[in-house]
Amino acid sequence: MTGRARARSRGRARGQETGAPGAQPPPSEEAARPVPPPSAEGELVGRGRQRRAPGAVASEALLQISAGFQQVKIGERGGRRRDFHDAGVHTRQLMEHVKESKTGVSGSKIELRANFMRLLSRPQWALYQYHVDFKPPMESRRLRSALLFQHDETLGKARTFDGAILFLPHRLHNTVKFVWKLKVERVQITVTLTNELPPSSPVCLQFYNIIFRRYKMLNMQQIGRHYYNPDDPLNIPQLTIWPGFVTNILQYESSIMLCTDVSHKVLRSETVLDFMYNLRKQCGDQRFPDACTKELVGLIVLTKYNNKTYRIDDIAWDHTPNNTFKRGDADISFKDYYKTQYGLDITDGNQVLLVSEVKRMGPSGAPPPGPALLIPEFCYLTGLTDKMRNDFNIMKDLSSHTRLTPEQRESRLNRFITNISRNTEAQNELSTWGLSFENKLLGLTGRVLPAERILQGSRTYDYNPWAADWSKEMRGLPLISSMPLESWLMFYTRRNSDVAQSLLQTLNRVSGPMGIRMQRAVMIEYEDRQESLLRALQQNVGPDTQMVVVILPTNRKDKYDCVKKYLCVDCPTPSQCVVSRTLSRPQALMTVATKIALQMNCKMGGELWSIEIPLKQLMIVGIDCYHDTAAGKRSIGALLTLLCVFSGALKAYWKYNNCLPSRIIVYRDGVGDGMLQSVVNYEVPQIMQSIKTMGEDYMPKLTVVVVKKRIASRFFARIDGKLTNPPPGTVIDTEVTRPEWYDFFIVSQAVRCGSVSPTHYNVVFDNSGLKPDHMQRLTYKLCHMYYNWQGIVRVPAPCQYAHKLAFLVGQSIHKEPNINLDDFLYYL
Amino acid sequence: MCRNGSDRMAALFSPPLYLQRYQFVIEYVKRFIPRKVIDLGCADCGLLRKLKFHRNAIEVLAGVDIDCAALRERVNALAPLTIDYLQPSPRPLTIELYQGSVTEREPCTQGFDLVTCMELIEHLQLWEVEGFSNVVFGYMNPCAVIISTPNVEFNPLLPGLRGFRNKDHKFEWTRAEFQTWALGVCMEYGYSVEFTGVGVAPGQNRDVGFCTQIAVFQRDAGVSNGPVNNAVQMEPTVYRLLYRVVYPSLCDNNIFQRTLVCQVLYRAESLKREFELGEQSMQSDLTACAHSLPPDVVAGSTVVYRHRSHVFVPLQHVWTDPKVQALCGNIHRLRQALMDDSRVQLDTDRDAIILPDEGEEEEDEEETGECEEGNLTPSPVVDNSEEDWETEIG
Repeated sequence: MTGRARARSRGRARGQETGAPGAQPPPSEEAARPVPPPSAEGELVGRGRQRRAPGAVASEALLQISAGFQQVKIGERGGRRRDFHDAGVHTRQLMEHVKESKTGVSGSKIELRANFMRLLSRPQWALYQYHVDFKPPMESRRLRSALLFQHDETLGKARTFDGAILFLPHRLHNTVKFVWKLKVERVQITVTLTNELPPSSPVCLQFYNIIFRRYKMLNMQQIGRHYYNPDDPLNIPQLTIWPGFVTNILQYESSIMLCTDVSHKVLRSETVLDFMYNLRKQCGDQRFPDACTKELVGLIVLTKYNNKTYRIDDIAWDHTPNNTFKRGDADISFKDYYKTQYGLDITDGNQVLLVSEVKRMGPSGAPPPGPALLIPEFCYLTGLTDKMRNDFNIMKDLSSHTRLTPEQRESRLNRFITNISRNTEAQNELSTWGLSFENKLLGLTGRVLPAERILQGSRTYDYNPWAADWSKEMRGLPLISSMPLESWLMFYTRRNSDVAQSLLQTLNRVSGPMGIRMQRAVMIEYEDRQESLLRALQQNVGPDTQMVVVILPTNRKDKYDCVKKYLCVDCPTPSQCVVSRTLSRPQALMTVATKIALQMNCKMGGELWSIEIPLKQLMIVGIDCYHDTAAGKRSIGALLTLLCVFSGALKAYWKYNNCLPSRIIVYRDGVGDGMLQSVVNYEVPQIMQSIKTMGEDYMPKLTVVVVKKRIASRFFARIDGKLTNPPPGTVIDTEVTRPEWYDFFIVSQAVRCGSVSPTHYNVVFDNSGLKPDHMQRLTYKLCHMYYNWQGIVRVPAPCQYAHKLAFLVGQSIHKEPNINLDDFLYYL
Repeated sequence: MCRNGSDRMAALFSPPLYLQRYQFVIEYVKRFIPRKVIDLGCADCGLLRKLKFHRNAIEVLAGVDIDCAALRERVNALAPLTIDYLQPSPRPLTIELYQGSVTEREPCTQGFDLVTCMELIEHLQLWEVEGFSNVVFGYMNPCAVIISTPNVEFNPLLPGLRGFRNKDHKFEWTRAEFQTWALGVCMEYGYSVEFTGVGVAPGQNRDVGFCTQIAVFQRDAGVSNGPVNNAVQMEPTVYRLLYRVVYPSLCDNNIFQRTLVCQVLYRAESLKREFELGEQSMQSDLTACAHSLPPDVVAGSTVVYRHRSHVFVPLQHVWTDPKVQALCGNIHRLRQALMDDSRVQLDTDRDAIILPDEGEEEEDEEETGECEEGNLTPSPVVDNSEEDWETEIG
């Protein structure tokens, strides 16, 4: 854990610089157009997908390295071609040592249940793809279908036909020709076999998904990619929550399975216009445009006249519904358009319009039609704003509704399974295709890795493996190394002077046993205004200041941002902010002060505890992306260490260890669905390239692991007859993993309420020769090393650090932190 | 079916002729405000999809076609939108699709205010037309009927057209033929008719008439139908019901109550928040004396106030929200509706909504964090110190 890799990073907006190919310039009155109505001839997405070449993964993925900072820009994935399941990325075959087996051995076996159901099909099942030709050619798709389906006795009942391609579950004898007399004309239909698709082929998988959706989704409302039940909403003030399910059918390790999880959609019955009115009332005309952009850009809205969702990319301040756009040959105003098209009246003719870049391809592969202009009055907000996310009460209400215990979750999943098996229509359809699902959740065996022993100086201790927390065990033990605190400041407002005093005393009391030597802080009172806080900082923080503690009167973001901005960028000094409320309860003060003392110590470069890692000369790197929705940045964020920065990390390693690492393990977090290919194709080679810059003969062993937290897989354990979360340290590396990957799941953290979500690790590159078992154990060990939490976290600590830094930079600083801080965990 | 010949005519008309026909019906609906509308020969429900947006007062929208596949094709487009759930309409709406023949009598098709029949009759055999008239005018007997059909006199102006406009057309009428039939129907079933059309001939050829001729029939003795009865949903006996969807509406009491409570609580919560913000700024301005300000704890108060650990938001205040007003009409109805709802807590005088003061109950994390999960056997701790993975790699 010596080379704690970290690097500067800065967020930057994308989209502003590169438009999607073919996108029009920023909306002018001519270019602007409202969203096209669902045209009668509109193509169906399901069919469009079917026609795609098997295994095609977005080829448009492009990656750019900006000149100034070492950032990776992940290019626009081509619209609907994006494969959310990252199918077709075959990384395992390139790693010799896991070709045979990728399973570990350590730990004790545990019986688990997973939210998967096996797809059962007849042993010889295959899908047959035919091309259907009509002579003379026929325009009407409906007529084509009608004619073709006259031949049920030959084709059978199970079939899907999109006008040209026919799928059947059986093989026809040779080429079949039908002749059909239509009034005066003779129509000849020729059906030719073009492809035989094995059950696991991508087309087949897509086909299962389509068939399955068709029936599952009765009475469900589609939003984005998922389906929700609108008849049973949960309401908390200003929010409506629809329960639903996410499902997908994929080829997993040993069989094709349906993975399904409970999902919730947060909707709001408030229009963007309502939102704008309120905002204007709150912040006044002057600040309104800024505040409005900040709050709205990045949000997803739902329109009143169709079921489409749009992302707000900008606000067209110079546009109102009275502006016109070209429709056919004539100009029409937005106002008239919505009136004639949808019978909708616009009540506020002065509202400004919203801009959404439409990524979807135009009809028949045409380039995207450019930005769409939306009427705020007809747009409804979905999801949560950052403001709501920070609102403790809203989040509490929300989680009380959406957080399900393992038992609740399992029962909802079982209800879902029962509904499907009871739905005769669905069952009939599936059985005509020769398909059925196992009517129960998948059972499988996992392993619980042994608990780690925590080393703290000369002392070692164990922790309760179920709680996965050692805050009590470490109480009163000296830390591995601590920085003496000689010159430090504490800022507080007059109202909080009592709190500040008692914090100071308690800090003194708790720091002794931990081995932290602490001088009395210089106490500085500031007035409760941002400017005076900044002035106080400027006047008092000097080059010798080791630490700045600021007691904030409220958890408002602006003061926090101000402190962090000044002390991370302008005047590099470790700092610690505390909201006064946290300190208000005397009985909790000891706990809080202990945490603060630990945190301060880390920020100055102290070491708290460690665990044994039986590998030498090891450097571990964490990479994360910050997704700043509020600032309109899509996925560019702080990347810890890439290219030059990567070599910077190697140099830092050299500085502290007097040698270069012989092993480098990179944990890459923040990879979205469908982005795996570009990580493999672009990021891995970049990392290798930057290693090369250290010298031609320097060839460390490299491992790159993609870490995913937001996944649909869930596991349940049955302990003492009760359905619970699997214990921390549970590893799953069979059945539900993917055959083409070297991947595994670890449940590392313990949760107090709700169901735990496992973390998925996908080793996309590995020439280290490390056994899968060691890879899993190492990963789990690293989850013990996040100093801001005296327990096990969800991801390896370097990822958590990277996330924290990326978040700080993206949310508060918006600038590159000062280089002098680089060697410290200042961002905790 | 009505669009098959549209390629040929696409160049001639803008907007396309079928859209002009739809627009004609939309205008009619706007003027005469029917509540129950049925479209015969609705094919892929193009007109119904339009009328769904241009509802005015339509409460029942039905479609009939003989072609089941055509009906099913775009049926999803008739389903309620997400927003229809989030903001239920004040009026009910039911959409129904039937498979059946327009020459058969189906009880479900009676009692409609408007029957539309666009580009349908020319697909019937001539001898079937009389049966059709009998079913529509004699049996269904709606207040009004709109019938459109091609005007064969216009055909010479359609480039490259030989024979009828569509292969499936059994006949195409001149204006005189159409009008003769229509007037005959009026005589027999007690209707009056007006003739018009869409698709004006270009240039000098005005005298051929409209491309599509339209007859609008009005039942004599203008007796309107009885009120729409939504409670009784009849099952068809002759036709086959393919699709029925009831839109969420505020007429459904559960939905009304849910929508109202949601809006009321939202309003109350934001008033509470304003109140708390006011308190906070007061505290930081007048740190010393803030606590000594007596809260205005008077029954029937019109300001938000705090009492013990609760915040009281007067109904009067909530009532000022236009959305609440739109839902309830008057404050008594609001009070009445909230009284019976377990999701809202009213004070004893039923003048204010009581909300918990969340400021207090924030952090009990430390405490709950201490709870132990006792009797679970911890897995054994292995002694790592003897391991060396490097040597195991081999």
